[in-house]
Amino acid sequence: MNARSGGDADVASSPPPDGDGAGADVACDSDMMSEAVGPGALAGIVGGAAFGAAMIDLGSLETIASLARSESVVVGFVIHFVIAIAIGVGFGLLVRFQRPGVGETLFWGMAYGAVWWFVGAVTLLPLLSGEPLAWSVDAARSLVPSLIGHLVYGAFTALGFVVFDRRSRHRVVSAHPTIGSVSRGAIAGLFGGITLALILDAQPGRPTVSSAMTTTDRPLTGAVTVLVGVVAGIGFALLHPNAIAGSGPALVRGMVYGFLAWIVLAVTVVPLASGDGLTWTVDDLRDGFATLPGYLLFIGAVPALVYQWLTSLTRAVASDRHAGGDQEGVGTQGLRAIFGGAAAGIVGGTVFSIVIVRTGDLPGIASMVAVDSPTVGLVLHLVTSVSIGVGYGVFFVKRSNDVSSALGWGISYGVFWWLMGSLTLLPVLAGGSPQWNVEASSEAFPSLVGHLAYGAFLGMVFYRLEARYDPWWVSRNAAEERRARRAADQLAGSAPALWVLTVLFAVVIPILLAPA
Amino acid sequence: MGGTERRGPQIAAGAFCGSVTGGLLAVLMVFDDVSSVSLLPVGTPSVQIALHLVVAAAIGAVFGWISPRTDRAHAALTSSGLIIGLLWWVIGPLTFVPIIRGDGTMWSLVQATPVFSTLIASLLHGSATGLCFAVVGGPRILPWSVPTASRGVGIDENGDQVGDDEAQPAEPTRVVIVGGGFGGVAVAQRLEALALDGSGIDVTLVSDRNFLLFTPMLAEVAGSSVEQQHISAPLRAACPRTRFVRGRATDIDVEARLVRVAEAPRGEVCYDHLVVALGSVPDDRDVPGVADHCFSLKTLDDATRLRNHVISMMERADVETDGAERRSLLTFVVAGGGFAGTEMVAELCDLAHSALRHYPSVPIDELRFVLVHSRDRILPEIGAELADYALDKLHARGIETVLGTHVDGVTPTSLTLDAGTEIATRTVVWTAGNQPNALVTALGCELGDRGAVVTDATLAVTGLDRVWALGDCAQVPDSEGGRCPPTAQHATRQGTTVADNILAVEQGRDPSPFSFSSLGTLVALGHRTAVAEIRGRRFSGILAWFMWRTIYLFKLPTLEKKARVVVDWTVDLLFPRDIVLTTDSPQRDLGDEPERDDDHTARPATTTAGENGA
Repeated sequence: MNARSGGDADVASSPPPDGDGAGADVACDSDMMSEAVGPGALAGIVGGAAFGAAMIDLGSLETIASLARSESVVVGFVIHFVIAIAIGVGFGLLVRFQRPGVGETLFWGMAYGAVWWFVGAVTLLPLLSGEPLAWSVDAARSLVPSLIGHLVYGAFTALGFVVFDRRSRHRVVSAHPTIGSVSRGAIAGLFGGITLALILDAQPGRPTVSSAMTTTDRPLTGAVTVLVGVVAGIGFALLHPNAIAGSGPALVRGMVYGFLAWIVLAVTVVPLASGDGLTWTVDDLRDGFATLPGYLLFIGAVPALVYQWLTSLTRAVASDRHAGGDQEGVGTQGLRAIFGGAAAGIVGGTVFSIVIVRTGDLPGIASMVAVDSPTVGLVLHLVTSVSIGVGYGVFFVKRSNDVSSALGWGISYGVFWWLMGSLTLLPVLAGGSPQWNVEASSEAFPSLVGHLAYGAFLGMVFYRLEARYDPWWVSRNAAEERRARRAADQLAGSAPALWVLTVLFAVVIPILLAPA
Repeated sequence: MGGTERRGPQIAAGAFCGSVTGGLLAVLMVFDDVSSVSLLPVGTPSVQIALHLVVAAAIGAVFGWISPRTDRAHAALTSSGLIIGLLWWVIGPLTFVPIIRGDGTMWSLVQATPVFSTLIASLLHGSATGLCFAVVGGPRILPWSVPTASRGVGIDENGDQVGDDEAQPAEPTRVVIVGGGFGGVAVAQRLEALALDGSGIDVTLVSDRNFLLFTPMLAEVAGSSVEQQHISAPLRAACPRTRFVRGRATDIDVEARLVRVAEAPRGEVCYDHLVVALGSVPDDRDVPGVADHCFSLKTLDDATRLRNHVISMMERADVETDGAERRSLLTFVVAGGGFAGTEMVAELCDLAHSALRHYPSVPIDELRFVLVHSRDRILPEIGAELADYALDKLHARGIETVLGTHVDGVTPTSLTLDAGTEIATRTVVWTAGNQPNALVTALGCELGDRGAVVTDATLAVTGLDRVWALGDCAQVPDSEGGRCPPTAQHATRQGTTVADNILAVEQGRDPSPFSFSSLGTLVALGHRTAVAEIRGRRFSGILAWFMWRTIYLFKLPTLEKKARVVVDWTVDLLFPRDIVLTTDSPQRDLGDEPERDDDHTARPATTTAGENGA
């Protein structure tokens, strides 16, 4: 059986270096105008149109018009488009060296939009309007609809850039969705949707996938949740037909995708379909917060992980192609990952324990085994830290090639476990239900700080340990370099954007949505 | 040539960018409260501004230090900067600032909310610093970088590399290591570790074996308690970032700075630094018959051949009807009472007794094991008390020792001692001496005892430029005015020193003298018994045996081999030793002509435990 004859053609075909981006040819400086400025400007128009439509609904174009000392909506719309185009050009310049493809560029767009919320809406716009910086929480809360708008602008700008990006047409190896990949996405989404439906059903007040849904019919809300899962799963498969390189990156990417799905489905599409208009205000988002962790975990992260595993399994069964040139074998690589992850987990857990001791949460951890001893709590915490560290080692083996990427993956992994651990499993193991509400997430903010510290140290220590015995990113010649690049070019993909979005929604959103 | 670590420029570039963006951020203080914008809001407004600028530069420097090694990654660097900014917010405004104020940490949401403005300041500063760093070309001054698709390099449909070739790294310093024993591998591994910090050194290892032989366990292979492949780690796995040339070095031209290796491209390997780690070969000390009729214990082949020979002798003894002949077949003599000889005779004893149940016609009282040693006591490297303990243990197990006696000659059927005694035997194992590999004479440098290369305290070969020597083939002065013993322990540490000194020379620093005192010695005596002397403390019995196995297991290269040896040892605890002959050809007697290398002088590099253990 040759490489293309068995099972899924997409699985058997040549996998790209990372994700769906493929081995790409990228822009040169001389092509800046044609490959960055032009497509960026056009993409800015697309993003500006989407954001502009939302601004009409939100009635915020007058604020933009104030830049020209006007209150005219038309003037505001024109200024908005000029700004959108200019920022779109900036996007083109910034991502012209990144790997093309919708699965990568989309997240860059969102991260770019989020940064521009800080730069534009929160900083420059008030200054140009002669007002003080909007850096206080109250001022920032009033600009939450703008934050969502900037994320939408970024997403649409990214999609537009992909359409107008000349590099995308010149990709040497392309990856297209197939029936197989879409089916795996649907299965993964189905799994996530069913899990989320069961959890939401057990929650107090039985929240639905969107606060705009008013029905309380259990079968209907459950079916809608499952449907959302399947749709999101298919969407993920369409973005990443070849799956992501590695379980860990898939987990993080899925989490960010879950955030995108929450914005698109929970606070935009469903409310619009319900005739409620956009629900982007702070109060609206607080109402919908009950489903945000669910989206992040069970519409995003877990289905992405399942999708990754299904794709790997299919590839292993159906493809004769050798996976790559740098496989050490499960025994060697696995044992190293386990030992390294455990060691890194101990370090990270020790740092985390400083936070826990200060906040006095050790008895709460001990309650998982029905005791309230701080010592037992500390032991349980360290054991858990080691276990999660082992998970990091297994999921993120050969994913960090410098301290920066180690921090990125480690912190993102820490955020995942804040959601999965502090807000979900810990309350369940203590005899309750997942604490997916703004009050609980606010109370768990110290735990988030601890998880960030844990993740940072976990990532850095594991990177150092990995560097000691296998600095896989140091290559001796071109052939080895090509093999190493499969993982090393994550910076050319959207991994850094994922890290940014992860920390932003983990830190900024709880602060903005905290009870006043 | 590259060859030097250059972190300074990118740290400076990062500090510059951090300062610039910090200054821009400080401008915003005109429009708002200073403490809302300052990255370190402590003290009076003027102090806050000063601290803000200092912290901004420091964050930039840290960013420059840890920034991704990728060119043309504006977006990635901006993102990384933003994450650094977030971390600073947690470390600074949420942790150190309140601690300085005496308020404790501010990790709760209620406490963090009022300093939300500093989060925005930190995020903006971090991301702007990253973008600035990308724009001013910070990553381009990195000593090496991972070429990614973002560098304009891609893969075409044939799997070939395509894209631009600009920004090629500087030509690295070429270090060639001749010899794949403990010393040579230690040099390569250390240089690999240094390369992580951007040392820009290209390492080539030349060895005619593609594996590192863990000689301390060689006796266990001969004793059939460990599989032969399990004590040898592939050099390509032990030194994954080193270029490896499997071939025999035939000549060294120090004028042209090259090593001739037939198997290498163009038959030679050029170097900027040469590391001579050729090890040693057995020394028959001109004793008649040793070269032709004795087994040595330097290679895997030696160990396997000896194992097969012992089992073959048992097979023949089982059907031998002549008593004298049978006793001759069942007599095993080891010449040399150092580490290797003592461990070998104990392992042979274990093997023969373990296999005895399969040979019903072999009387147990006809098994004879003799250890011949020229000095008054065995194991001269350890204290007399422990050596006596070891001697007692050997005697208790029925092993004879002949001390203060030299071997006068070996014939196909006997061994003659200088006292005139003759021992009828078909098996003599020679562990009584080693000598440096003869290829060292090609260096044309000063040679010391038995032809060893004379080095100074920094391991540089006397009289030669950028040529280093270590291990069994070198005569290295120790810190007490004596000479370093040729042990694997010393060879490994010497390798680390050589690598550090090569880097020091490349960076214009003075090389450091080698200094190391032995950690201790371990000798296995078979039958779950050993003696050990660790940092002056003495151990014996099963505890020492456990230490022997644990320590050597940790020293065994590669995780895979460790796992395999653990399995071997576990099986050895539960089952008798394997007596399968791994060759169909009849085992040679002492009277047969042994297999020998054509070119004895160019025997492969083997850093040996030899007489000295590891």
